Amino acid sequence: MRRDLKEVIFFSACTTTTVTAISLLFIILSAIFVRGLPAINLEFLTAESREFGKNGGIFYQTMGTLILIGAAGVLALPIALGSAVYQTEYLSPSLRGTADLLVYALNAVPTIIFGLFGYMFFGVFLKLGVSWLTGSFILAIMVLPTVIVSIKEAIESIPVKYLEAGLALGLTQERLVRAVIIPQSLHGVVTGLLLGLARAAGETAAIMFTATTFSGVLLPSSFREPVTTLQTHILILAQEAINPRALTNAWGAALVLVALVMFMSIGSMLIREKITLEAER
Amino acid sequence: MKPLFTLKDVSIDYGTSPVLKNVSLNFDKGKVTSIIGPSGAGKSTLLRTLNRMNDHIPCFRLRGEVFFDDENIYNNGTKVPLLRQNVGMVFQKPCIFPKSIYDNVLFGVRHLCSGRKYEFPRIVEEMLKAVSLWEEVKDKLNRSALELSQGQQQRLSIARALAVEPRVLLMDEPTSSLDPTSTSAIEELVGRLSGNLTIVIVTHKLDQAKKIADDVVFICEGKLIEHGMSENVFSNPYQQQTKDYLRWHLCKC
Repeated sequence: MRRDLKEVIFFSACTTTTVTAISLLFIILSAIFVRGLPAINLEFLTAESREFGKNGGIFYQTMGTLILIGAAGVLALPIALGSAVYQTEYLSPSLRGTADLLVYALNAVPTIIFGLFGYMFFGVFLKLGVSWLTGSFILAIMVLPTVIVSIKEAIESIPVKYLEAGLALGLTQERLVRAVIIPQSLHGVVTGLLLGLARAAGETAAIMFTATTFSGVLLPSSFREPVTTLQTHILILAQEAINPRALTNAWGAALVLVALVMFMSIGSMLIREKITLEAER
Repeated sequence: MKPLFTLKDVSIDYGTSPVLKNVSLNFDKGKVTSIIGPSGAGKSTLLRTLNRMNDHIPCFRLRGEVFFDDENIYNNGTKVPLLRQNVGMVFQKPCIFPKSIYDNVLFGVRHLCSGRKYEFPRIVEEMLKAVSLWEEVKDKLNRSALELSQGQQQRLSIARALAVEPRVLLMDEPTSSLDPTSTSAIEELVGRLSGNLTIVIVTHKLDQAKKIADDVVFICEGKLIEHGMSENVFSNPYQQQTKDYLRWHLCKC
């Protein structure tokens, strides 16, 4: 009887915590959806922002966010892939723990510090100024740990039999990486990249004074021009809390940003499952 | 006949207790040599020593010398990928890549001899015929190799290993996970390949060793107990431990 009661209590505690976590997510998403939906229409999604965001749309802000995260992905992916391969295949086992520690430490750096460092190094020292390229570099550095860890975990989960089969055929280490390791860890590459970019899409502190401007910019025509983004657009509009129109547009922009992040997060999950299923087939 | 492999006083350990102890023996060219012994005797370790597949195991340490074609393969200057191209290996469980049958056969060839692209269709047909798989799969070469049965996958693994034209084929219990029909097919295949190829096969099935092997090596607790021609070892073993093992499948070494 006592054991049954303990089972019931434990099960109830687990259920309560799960419901709490899911409810919080549901509440947040519902609030964004309910408040943001009135702003969503074709004009909002495709038009330029007017009157400092009170009217018009968020087309160039959306493009700005996509430009930043797209470029961050292009910059981060080769470095993350090379790092993960090096750490798993070439680095001495005694140093792997240290390498892991450094990667996790990079992930723990506050994003505002990334912004500060990024501005000083890319913006001032390399003379890129406040530009989408500076922002992309900063975001790329920020998402590196996420992508590296995801790829590393995928490489480490490759069954030994595949590696041995490749080695036994006479493949060199370089060929083994190209022929077996990278193809077999593709799900980790895709997942890590999409998760990293989902994080980058919501990043505000690191880019607000290094890559963006609130108005006066549409699409950049050179590497050294800033962009306008959904994140900073929401921040500025939210500060005009007394204006109901601006606030509604802020919620609308938030809904679009959340949709973008969820699209990438869920997309990464689906692609990972598809690649895994195909590999198992 | 000059031996293809010569092991001189080889001892192997993985940091704790020794796995092979002072093993000295030869493997003759063109013959099928079977390594037999109880579980944990060191049979697979001995086999994997011949193509340095133990190298990536942590704390692996080898003392002694292993010669392949008169060259010590554990010298610093040894080109290990080239050694493994010459000394191919097939594992206990077939390892098939998630690719088509066609691409699986060519997996090693593509990466080692990319200049021979025009020969790929011929190589695929030849190798699949050599392992008696051609008639079963010729109409579905582009289908996933994972759809094949275990026995077919093992024969495909052998075809893939043969495609890079090794001089030696090491087989680590290649039929232990197969049904009797597939096992017979593999045994028949070994018979057809021998002569042109030197084969070293680890097996715990004594009747299999008796059927296919020219020479037999009996290993127990890491020590070489007996080595000789198959008919001699099975019919009139010299060592008492061999007699005990052949009779009772037990070895008190």
